[in-house]
This record gives sequence, structure tokens and C-alpha cells, in this order.
Amino acid sequence: MSYSELTRRYFELAPLAGTLEGAQIARGAAGGRAQGVWVQFHLRVESGAPDAVRIAEARFLAFGCPHVIAAAAWTAEQAVGRPPGPSLPLSPEALRRLFDAPVEKLGRLLVVEDAWIATISSIDRGA
Amino acid sequence: MSEPAYLDNAATTPLDPRVAAEMAACLTADGVFANPGSAGHRPGEAARARVEAARAQVATAVGAEPEEVIWTSGATEADNLAIFGLAQHMEGRGRHLITARTEHRAVLDPCRELERRGWRVTYLTPDHRGIVSPAQVEQALDPETVLVSLMHVNNETGVIQDIAGFAAVCERHGGARLHVDAAQSFGKCPVDFTRCGADLMSLSGHKIHGPKGVGALLVSRRRGVRIAARQFGGGQERGLRAGTVPTHQVAGMGAAYALAAAESAADGVRIERLRERLWRGLEAAGGALRNGGPPDVVPHLLNVSFVDVEGESLLAAVAPQVAVSTGSACASATNEPSYVLRALGRDDRLAESSLRFSLGRFTTEADIERTIATVTQALERLRRIGGICRTAS
Repeated sequence: MSYSELTRRYFELAPLAGTLEGAQIARGAAGGRAQGVWVQFHLRVESGAPDAVRIAEARFLAFGCPHVIAAAAWTAEQAVGRPPGPSLPLSPEALRRLFDAPVEKLGRLLVVEDAWIATISSIDRGA
Repeated sequence: MSEPAYLDNAATTPLDPRVAAEMAACLTADGVFANPGSAGHRPGEAARARVEAARAQVATAVGAEPEEVIWTSGATEADNLAIFGLAQHMEGRGRHLITARTEHRAVLDPCRELERRGWRVTYLTPDHRGIVSPAQVEQALDPETVLVSLMHVNNETGVIQDIAGFAAVCERHGGARLHVDAAQSFGKCPVDFTRCGADLMSLSGHKIHGPKGVGALLVSRRRGVRIAARQFGGGQERGLRAGTVPTHQVAGMGAAYALAAAESAADGVRIERLRERLWRGLEAAGGALRNGGPPDVVPHLLNVSFVDVEGESLLAAVAPQVAVSTGSACASATNEPSYVLRALGRDDRLAESSLRFSLGRFTTEADIERTIATVTQALERLRRIGGICRTAS
């Protein structure tokens, strides 16, 4: 399979791959390695006034095809500086188009969204 | 960026320069360019002589008579000619054939087509090493069986099958012919068409540093094998395969077979040493499972499943540095887990995360060291990104 230049760059460099440690870190995961796709995000959210809350740091772990790794890496990178909301910076379908992934991989990119939502939910629960 | 180390010789091999020279001599006006079917003039006679010389080279290399060599466009066409040609010729006697789940699709797809036409097909399952036993064939034979089609060397795992044992079983049965797909075997392990007792054997040109687009079907004269033609329009190749014989292609295949016959013993020793060095290096990376191993496999092939890594990402990560394939190149367009590895008991995940490393005449120690380093680095990186802690063994 051939990959777009953007996919190859984010897959090969995988910026922000890794974890964040500490009690205040929000974590959420989706999928399963046994199923071939698993994604986890780690976020550190800066506290402050409700309308000034921002994601200060983000990391990700991803097990999956190059498109999944690239999409998770891009999402983590885009998240920094944004308010923590349940929507991805781009929808799974927009991610698919951004990385020129085949239509049959949309299901894998939904796992990226599920992991994001799980992570944001953990903030709401007081991570 | 430098070219990747080429370890996909089971898919195809680069042309040996000595073969290329033989082919070039059959292309231009100052060479043997004429139609070998043109018997009325000297250039045509020269082309015919060149074709027959190549036929003799291939026959000598594989222990056959020149008259038993039918040129085709490759092993896939040879498999199709053998299976459909024999099925058509023999269907009055019976409509049952036997093959194995781990055959190449050039055999499986014709078998499925015959099923659609009302034939019964028995698909044998190999043991955990990938081996089909003659006893399994014997058990599957019935009075309606007219053909057993089994490969000599598996294209994904390199496992060598006991074709003489299959031939003996078919001989005892009396009514079943044996077709052997030997596309991956000649040049990697001994092949003797006459002594092994097969009735039909498919050969490829491009797996042993010969050209693509040419192959051959061996049809045993001594055993009185008859098949029906599949292609009409000129009566070439004893009426079994019509069409102008491409002189340069068959000259290339003849030269490649002659070279392999002369050099494969020495090549094999060197290649096996490189293959074992590669395995030791990959094994040290941790989580590597070998699919098939000595003494059951040819020296040039190593198939490994890697645990805790996703197959597509592994292939993408190594591709800039190493040209390998996941399973069979002919099936990899489907992006499905290898049916051969699944048949050997690997689950879908492990079948998907397998790489086939196939070495050739031009593989160097530097290629092997580069491959070990590249795969080891890719495994560490992908496992780290995937949140998997595994220390190299």
C-alpha cells in the first residue's frame, strides 16, 4: 500500500508518542490490540477560569496501521492549546480524507475518536 | 536515499546479466530475431535452433526430455494448462481432484473454477510444519480422482513437499495423474522430473534470475500423459500452446536454468548461511516466530511472524530500507492475512504480522545486516508507540 507524504511523515516521526505521568493526567483508550487497533490519549489540562481551560500537553499511544498511528499523532499535536471538548480537531471522515486513507479504514479512525472521547470523559470525571 | 536491500526474491529476481546478454542476442536485426515458426529461410531456422537449444537447456536442468517441455507465458499459465487441460481430457473417467489449502492461487483458483463447473475438489490441510503427507493423498483418492495437484516448494514458507511420495501414491491408485507446481523449487532444491514420477510439472523463468513472461509445462511422454489444448491459433508447442514462441524469452529461461544447474549448489550453501544469520538476528529482536524451518524448507526463504506489532505498520516501517513482502506477492494485493499461515495454525493477527524474507544469488552480507538492524529498530519503535514493553531476548 502506498501512503501520502503527510501519512508517512506522521507515521515515521510519530510526534508526541508516549505517556504523561501524574495524578492530574486524563487518560482514555479505545479498541483492542487483539482486534488490530488500539489508541490511548494522555492529556494534561491547565486549570483556570472555565472559559480559559486549555490542553497544555498531549501524548498518545497507538497500535494499528500507519493511518491510525498518523491520525493519533496528528490529533495529539492539534489538541495542545485547545479547550478540552469531546469533538476531535477533525471528524474521523475528515481525518480519513486528510491522510488519504481508503474508505474501508474509516472504522479504524473511529477508534481514534472513541479514545479521544474517553479521554475527555475522564477529565469530566475529575482526572 | 539508497535502494532498499532486496529480499523479495520469491516474488521475482533480477535478471542475471549473463541471461540478459543471451536475450539481447535474440532481439535486433544483427541477432536471432526471426520467427522460429518460419521454416523456409535461414533466419527462421536460426531462431528455431535457438528455441530448441533453450528447450534442451531447461530439460537437462530438470531431468526431462526436450520433447516434454511446452513453453508458456509463466508458471501460472502452466498451472492453468495442466489443470484445465487434464480435466478436459480426463473428465470422462472422473470429476474429482485433490489439492492442498496452501497451494498458490494459480492452482487454487482453477480448482475453484472447476468446482463451479461441477467438479469435486478435496483440499488437504498440511500439518503444523506445512507438510502434506502421501498418506493424506492416499486417503483422499477415490475411483473418480483424475488429478492430484500439489506444489513442490511453498511460495510463502519455503516448505518442501515429498513429491516422489505423492507420485508413488498416484501410481498405486492407477487413475490419478500428478501435477507439481515447481515454480519455487528449481534452483533451490533438487528437481528431477523423470525420477520423481510426476506426470506434469510447472516451471517459472523469473524466480531464478531469468526473465518474466516465460515458463514451461513439462508433460511426461514416458508416462503417456495427454492433455487438451487451451489455446488455439497456430499449432505451436505440439498443438498444446498456440502462439509465436518468443525466442528472446525462452533463450533467457534456458540460460537461467543452465546457470542455476551449474551454480545452485554453491549458491545454496552461501544463501543458507545468510538466511540463518538473518534468523538469529531477528530472533534476538524478541517476539519472532519462525514459520517453517530446516530441514523442511529451501535455503533461500525465511518466514517470520512477529508478536505485539501490527503487520501493515511493520511492512511500512521497514519498506524504505528493505524490500520484503507479507506472504505471497501474488496475494498481497488483497491485503488479507496469509491463508497459508492460517492453514498452519497461526491466528489472523500473527498471519498478518508475518514477513517473508527471500534471498537470492545477489544477496550480500551487508543486505542481511541492514535488514536485521532495520527490522529490529522498527519493532522497538512500533512496540513503544503501541504501549508494549518487551525487552529483546
